[in-house]
Amino acid sequence: MEHNESKEYDEQKITLIGIYVALLGLVTLAFGIVDILVWAGVRPGIEVGILAIAGDDFFRWAWGGFIMICAGLFMLAGSTRVATLQQSAKVILGGVLVWLIAGTDIFARLCATIPADEASPAFFNSFSGFIAAFAPPYTPAVLLFPFTLGILYLIRIHDTDDS
Amino acid sequence: MAKGRHVNLSGAVMAVEGADAMVFSSDARWEMVDAITRETVTYGTYKYTLGDVLGDLTVKPLTGIPVAFAALYAFWSVFTSFAGALVTDGFMVKFFDGFWLPWMQSVWPDPASWHYFLFVGNPAADTCFEAFGMLTSGLFVSIGVVLPAVFVFYLMMTLLEDSGYLPRLAVLMDSVLHRIGLHGYAIVPIILGLGCNVPAVTATRILETKKQRFIMMTLLALFIPCGAQLGIMMSVLPDLVGIVMLCLIVGFCIFGFILNKVIPGENPEILVDVPPYHWPVKEYVAKKLWNRTMGFLKEAVPFVLFGILVVNLLYLGGVIQGLANLLEPVFVTWFGVPKETVGPLIAAFLRKDLAIAQLSTIPMTTYQMVASVVLVTIYFPCVATFVVMLREGWKELIAAIAVLFVVVFIYGGIIHGIGILLGVA
Amino acid sequence: MTEGKAEKNIDLPEGGTIVLMLGNPNVGKSALFNRMTGANAVVSNYPGTTVDFMSGTFIESGHIYTIIDVPGTYSLEPRDAAEEVAVRMLRDHPDATVMVVLDATKTDRGLYVALEVMERGMPCIVAVNMMDAAHEKKITVDIAALQRLLGVPVVSTTATSGEGVRNLAEMLRKAQVADIGAIAERLHGEGQARESVRGCDGCGGC
Repeated sequence: MEHNESKEYDEQKITLIGIYVALLGLVTLAFGIVDILVWAGVRPGIEVGILAIAGDDFFRWAWGGFIMICAGLFMLAGSTRVATLQQSAKVILGGVLVWLIAGTDIFARLCATIPADEASPAFFNSFSGFIAAFAPPYTPAVLLFPFTLGILYLIRIHDTDDS
Repeated sequence: MAKGRHVNLSGAVMAVEGADAMVFSSDARWEMVDAITRETVTYGTYKYTLGDVLGDLTVKPLTGIPVAFAALYAFWSVFTSFAGALVTDGFMVKFFDGFWLPWMQSVWPDPASWHYFLFVGNPAADTCFEAFGMLTSGLFVSIGVVLPAVFVFYLMMTLLEDSGYLPRLAVLMDSVLHRIGLHGYAIVPIILGLGCNVPAVTATRILETKKQRFIMMTLLALFIPCGAQLGIMMSVLPDLVGIVMLCLIVGFCIFGFILNKVIPGENPEILVDVPPYHWPVKEYVAKKLWNRTMGFLKEAVPFVLFGILVVNLLYLGGVIQGLANLLEPVFVTWFGVPKETVGPLIAAFLRKDLAIAQLSTIPMTTYQMVASVVLVTIYFPCVATFVVMLREGWKELIAAIAVLFVVVFIYGGIIHGIGILLGVA
Repeated sequence: MTEGKAEKNIDLPEGGTIVLMLGNPNVGKSALFNRMTGANAVVSNYPGTTVDFMSGTFIESGHIYTIIDVPGTYSLEPRDAAEEVAVRMLRDHPDATVMVVLDATKTDRGLYVALEVMERGMPCIVAVNMMDAAHEKKITVDIAALQRLLGVPVVSTTATSGEGVRNLAEMLRKAQVADIGAIAERLHGEGQARESVRGCDGCGGC
């Protein structure tokens, strides 16, 4: 944390990628808060367009929402002077958390759609049924996933000088 | 060989003449080490890399704790998706309940006979949980439910171990674990114990003092459910896993705290050596996963089958009914669970996963289910754990068992008390 | 390095040599052990993975070696039960050859145990493991100089990829008792002591 006390008025403070990271962080943070609110019963599940927050399960929505909040905060904390190693690391860590949640969401869906429906006599799902299961709506983390790929750029700039 | 030769290395060497070796003081040795490294090792200009910074972030509490929560989340999520949704519910339940059980029931002769009872179980059962025969429930529990759980658990655990995250978790947990007489490194036996208590008991050797090892072993035997048990809990009572785990974690902390106060001895501070992160080597992960899973198959599957055999024989001989009547006052008035849970408690000595499978078929209220599952978990280590604990020292084992009985009695009562207060018991 | 097999009990084949692997925790002893014997010791990235010993055999140029992988230790004054196992093994096999395994990124800590072993007058060989990690961290270890100073064979290895393991197996027969007094003299006399090591050939650099 010792690098947090960076000079507030540093000219390099705000960069284009910094703005991108800050926006991403804000959205992630908001999603995390909504996850928890829906779980807590403020509204019984939200579905807007291709976004769905079921909020039916403590583990997925309260715990998972908490992680999204942390991810958002990490990104926000790292968004100023983002090109420095210390700050980039925070953003990358935030990205990794979002990837973890998105990854487990996708994995869960994959696992649930390989076998056939409980009622049907077959063991494996049909191919069309398998593909159809990946149609929207998606969870917030999965939706965010493509937008977080910009973080790979941060990893790249710090990894290349380490041959 | 340096027989009786005096050496003077910057005046710090104390050369002690021995029969055929020379003994230095540790200062002198360090001085030699310094001299040698000065001659042979050169340090280039090292740049702090991204990996190092990320490594630091995962041990600092402010960022490290959320990461630990996320790691736990991913662990459990993958565990339930793979073992629960995909393998067990997706394929195994369908196969065992839809094909295997009806086939066994139709093929095995004479549903009224004792051998039908032993091997196939209840002729009217629709599911492999209810049947409780060696070849129906036994195979279903060990291969259909527990094997996928253990497999995916070991995969995740191996990744945690090989990446180097485990020692960082140790650093994070250090201050918490000091409260209960342990230190950060106790996280290693705890995590191993979530897979299987057997290697976990051996792993307590990395703790320094007798006190620490005793506390750790007792807590492992009491409050840490193994992977097989987690797998079966997730499968038969998915909604209650959270509350059961909460009971166990609270018990772990309370009794750890008490044991720390009661047992004399020290709890020294340690310096955890944190290795750098690296990508797990594929072949190592595969090899380790294979060994551990095979180890499970070789040891656990026969035990599950044997356990069902023993329990069924005891039922046939009327022993369990007798014990149930005898222990009824304790179970019903003190723990608040039905007397039928005596049977699973006996099975729990052989395999805990089996005991929970058996519990799930007894009609009970939610409170009774939670209480009996917690009791099964804490009441006695399974045979395999018992044997390794014996190997680590019989005195400690006896003391641990004494503690265990006291704790089961007290904690069982506490849970019942809370249940009464909440109006659910 | 063929015909490797591992077992829990140590029964020494006729005319074989016992090799004890010793070194700090998490320097890759078990990984080296697996590489040499084809065994399945558990390897992880945290100190304290090995808490019990394991033995395995391999044959190199017709000679049978029984390697014992022991828990890592920072010194020969045991600090916990796992380190006790290591020290006990050393005591129980006084005739064994000791293979001291160092982490190339932390040579100093490993050398401390190495010196302790050498003081006991046991034949030694030193494996400087994790050369890949050292390379990444821009640390170089002068193997030849180390060998000259210590007077025992020193081999650089990378257990994860298997580099240098073959060489290590071949060099095992050249393991010898270190003359701790001479080491001190060589250090004291800095460059002046350039006497070549007895019976050492084919390693280059000395």
